[in-house]
Amino acid sequence: MNAILILLERDLRAVLRARSQLYSSVITPLIFLVFLGAGVTHGLQPANLPAGNFTAYLVPGVIVMTLVFSSTFSSASYYRDRDSGILRIFLSSPHPARRILLGKSLAGVVIGVLQAIVVLAVAAPFVDFEWQHGFIAGVAIAVATMALTALLLAGVAQVLASRIQSMQGFHLVMNLVLFPLLFFSGAFFPIADVPTWLEILARINPLTYAVDALQLAVYAGDDAGFIGLWVDFGVLTALAVGVYALSFVRVPRLTWSGQ
Amino acid sequence: MPAIEAEGIVRSYGDHRGLDRFTLLIPTGCIFGLLGPNGSGKSTFLSLVAGAERPDDGTLRVFDSDPAPALRRRMGMVFQESTLDPVTTVGENLEVAGRLFGLTRAMCRKRGVELLEQFGLADRYDAPVAQLSGGMRRRVEMVRALLHDPDLVLLDEPTTGIDPGERQAIWEALAAWPASGRTVVVATNDLVEADGVCDAAAFLREGCVAAMGTPAELKAGLQREAVWLEWPNAQESDLEAVWKWSSVGSVTAEDGTVQLTVDDATSVVPRLFRIPGADIRGVRIHPATLEDAYFHHVGVPMAHDDPEAPL
Repeated sequence: MNAILILLERDLRAVLRARSQLYSSVITPLIFLVFLGAGVTHGLQPANLPAGNFTAYLVPGVIVMTLVFSSTFSSASYYRDRDSGILRIFLSSPHPARRILLGKSLAGVVIGVLQAIVVLAVAAPFVDFEWQHGFIAGVAIAVATMALTALLLAGVAQVLASRIQSMQGFHLVMNLVLFPLLFFSGAFFPIADVPTWLEILARINPLTYAVDALQLAVYAGDDAGFIGLWVDFGVLTALAVGVYALSFVRVPRLTWSGQ
Repeated sequence: MPAIEAEGIVRSYGDHRGLDRFTLLIPTGCIFGLLGPNGSGKSTFLSLVAGAERPDDGTLRVFDSDPAPALRRRMGMVFQESTLDPVTTVGENLEVAGRLFGLTRAMCRKRGVELLEQFGLADRYDAPVAQLSGGMRRRVEMVRALLHDPDLVLLDEPTTGIDPGERQAIWEALAAWPASGRTVVVATNDLVEADGVCDAAAFLREGCVAAMGTPAELKAGLQREAVWLEWPNAQESDLEAVWKWSSVGSVTAEDGTVQLTVDDATSVVPRLFRIPGADIRGVRIHPATLEDAYFHHVGVPMAHDDPEAPL
């Protein structure tokens, strides 16, 4: 347990030190929210939104986008540690490799959730959320959704990192896999009235359930037109636990020479 | 109880045998040199001792136990490549490693500062790693390896890629380590520098131990000075004649290189040039070292980084 906390703390410090990365992970989604939200609300006046204006609608999607950014950045620390050689020092300690990896990846989860909370906290005073379950419960549901989503994304990133040698290749695959998923998740437009093929894509997309749960927690006035919290949490929990566990099947080993 | 006992170890990588019936005993409380050219099996052996891989055959015991991750608590390691986090400070590098070995943050700082001072890096605890030279970084890695007071320290090519001044500082720091029962195994192909540091050593070649002993034992039979000759057309009859000269101790020849150990090179070298037809193109003279002993025992010279370099 101690080894996990040591590496968790060490990676958190590394993120706090990399200020530009920290700020861009939070500011980019907020800029997205301000410009896209304001532009679409005033220019297109979408009438099909379940509640509120488009900026409010965008917040859950932008939170999920923040989690996607964060998981990508956090996983990059695996490559940095591998390339600087310090990963070998961690692996040459008496602790099992899985414990070392768990400490590092939990740092990514914590950072992702904290960044997502910042986005929610900055956006909330400026948009009209319904808080249909009340403010406290709404925040609790939102944070739980963020944690499950961050765990799922950390698992996906770790599975990819264990199989892709170069950081460039890793970023390419993460972008190819996760950003399309973001667009078919209801993050930027409702999926209720989209063509069938797009709705099918959305339904098999794990991020859809994250966006849906966040919308139900903060944005929606009622459940009409949404998937539902129980289904969202069922899917997210199963996937997060499954993928995260799967990501520990293949872990890096101590090698004496090179990587 | 010896620190490391290896008996008939075989470790293969495809068709290549990294170690081939490798047998070695390393006593506790000494600085032991694994000496040989690149590819002779030094790193493979260290990898097995660290428990990073397992032998295909044979027996390996470290402190009378099978090498396993739990045994790493008693080990410190310095790898051939740099393993410092370049975006943090010296202290942060020491702290994260020390804590993984069970030290508190305060213990890491106290012991880190003491060790840094011993290694000529006083007041560098809070220095960014990026501001350190290659030799300083290597010394920080040595400090990190010693932080948790291990019983066994494994050093792989500690001076590779380091400039000569820094190399000297590293070997001096290594020689000055208080023994206190600690065993240090250092793998290097720098036999001249290892000569003054190692209490005992093994000559490795192609995955086997070719000879083992103290530097004095390994150099026994050699005369005071070594003469290395670039002599492509050396005839066996000429070499036999040279060997019979009174001040010549040994004559070893391989692939155009001839090595003599002699009492007084100034009297021998002019005579060599008077041998009829001798096409001697280069001469190097120095006090006899482990490098000369290696050639003497193994029968081939150590491979140099630059094979085209003149003698």
